[in-house]
Amino acid sequence: MRKAYAHQTPWAGYWFILPSLITMMVLIAYPLVYGVYISFFDTNLLNKWNFVALKYYAQAISDPDFLHKIGLTFKYTTMVVVGNIVVGTLLAVILNMNLRGRVFFRALLILPWLFPEVVVALLWKWLFNPLYGLFNHMLMGANLIQDPIAWLDSPHFALYGVVFACIWKGYPLVMILVLAGLQSIPKDLYEAAEIDGANKLQAFRHITIPGLMPVMLVTIILETVWWFKHFTIVWLLTAGGPVNATSVISIDIYKIAFEDFRFGKAAALAVIVFFICFLMSYIYRRFLANDDK
Amino acid sequence: MMTNKALVSTKPAAASKLTMTNKRRTAFHHSIAYVILTLVSLTVVIPVLWMLSTSVKSDQEIFTIPPRWIPEDITFESFVRIWTDYPFLNYFANSFVVVLAATFISLFFSCLAGYGASRFQFKGKGAFLTFLLVTQMFPSIMLLIPFYKIIQTLGLVNTYVGLIFTYISFTIPFCSWMMMGYFQSIPKELDEAAAIDGCGKFRIFWQIIFPLSLPGVAATAIYSFIVGWNEYMFALVLMQSEEMKTVPVGIGQLIGQYKIMWNDMMASSLVASIPVLIFFLFFQKYLISSLTAGAVKS
Repeated sequence: MRKAYAHQTPWAGYWFILPSLITMMVLIAYPLVYGVYISFFDTNLLNKWNFVALKYYAQAISDPDFLHKIGLTFKYTTMVVVGNIVVGTLLAVILNMNLRGRVFFRALLILPWLFPEVVVALLWKWLFNPLYGLFNHMLMGANLIQDPIAWLDSPHFALYGVVFACIWKGYPLVMILVLAGLQSIPKDLYEAAEIDGANKLQAFRHITIPGLMPVMLVTIILETVWWFKHFTIVWLLTAGGPVNATSVISIDIYKIAFEDFRFGKAAALAVIVFFICFLMSYIYRRFLANDDK
Repeated sequence: MMTNKALVSTKPAAASKLTMTNKRRTAFHHSIAYVILTLVSLTVVIPVLWMLSTSVKSDQEIFTIPPRWIPEDITFESFVRIWTDYPFLNYFANSFVVVLAATFISLFFSCLAGYGASRFQFKGKGAFLTFLLVTQMFPSIMLLIPFYKIIQTLGLVNTYVGLIFTYISFTIPFCSWMMMGYFQSIPKELDEAAAIDGCGKFRIFWQIIFPLSLPGVAATAIYSFIVGWNEYMFALVLMQSEEMKTVPVGIGQLIGQYKIMWNDMMASSLVASIPVLIFFLFFQKYLISSLTAGAVKS
């Protein structure tokens, strides 16, 4: 009966999805194709349109500077994603325990996720201020460092400062998703395991981990793609500096496009970034889906 | 949680010993848990309190060494100044117009799409759903350059319409996904009963299913609002004239000033965060369950 109802009206489905479909075709599919088209030209988008075919792609993959920035972006993404997953999962496991006050802690720990990225960036810029910032003051108060560190202005520390701010902003989402994943694992499984004589560790290994796998997969893919292309926090904290120490690929593309007005080259780099994101999510899927079995 | 019921009934003596060690172990685990929770909470709370503290400081007091937690004279002049000396009234108006319009449009479209995908079988449905997910994979920087050119060609730079288009393109895919999940939780028997009574497809959706889905709609609306309200990169590129800037761009440019007024910056940051905090406070249950439903299911 149910199936019959759904089947008798195939056209109705099309009418309902039509507005979204058209919007997505016009606002996503078309601009994407157009972006690839732009990447074949040496252009300022106004009066100069010289066809250069694949020149920018060839240039990019043989350009040590570009490869260095991709490497830097990988390093940055890895640190942020690993940080987010570790902190977020740890907190989710704790919040899933039968603790007093866990509703209070959950509300508190979600807080950074609610602040706009711009606000997070400015807040940490102020906290990291070498002279008047709280961060150095507290570290010095705890005798961890002797002299103030210019967290965002020294080529040595800038990347770590940026990563720290990004983890601060990013872990709550992982926490929310993993917590939902933990709560979706049926309680009877644990009871059954206990009756069968499994200890906590075995229960964790054979019930929790496989149960969390699907959520983890989605979370890791989204997080990796999300931070690989991240722009706002890095841009406002350091704008890629000092001396390109935090020049992740989004910053580089933005500068090439809107400061140098070499839109064709920027578009080509953006397409390469897209392929990297696509490839990463593909590899994760293969790798983690196999691991599951 | 950790007491062993099966053992209690069969071997009382051994069980009480076991429960004792278990209890002790549980207490130990809980104390570790509290230590971790407290440490991370401090990392969250200290910066937020510092933001509050800075925002009520006077111009001289923001630059004191060592930094002072409680200002000597608490002043709200920064909160007045952002409305009088800076065009934040303007920025807020722009943000509200763009974000509310984008939320409204994307909500309407995603409800339709979500309903269609949850109720009907049709050719290409799988492709449509995959398309929804794949859009989450595109680096937004890849859309930035073509969007800039298209919006420039259409003469929509520095207009609300240009930015609204941009934001609905971000929110429609994910919102459709969220709404589809919500509609699937509403029994199809309701549709069938109404259809038997001779109710048309659109009327079933609009008058029966939609009103029942208001919690899901609210969660989706808030999600879409938050995405638009926080967006920075596209607004930076597409809204270049001072009168058209949105709140994130307005706050962001305070950092380029010759002398950075941290108290004004923290005050405007707090005010900009308020709408999101309020929404979250009231709708947190719905928002979190709808957000996670998509990830857990897929």
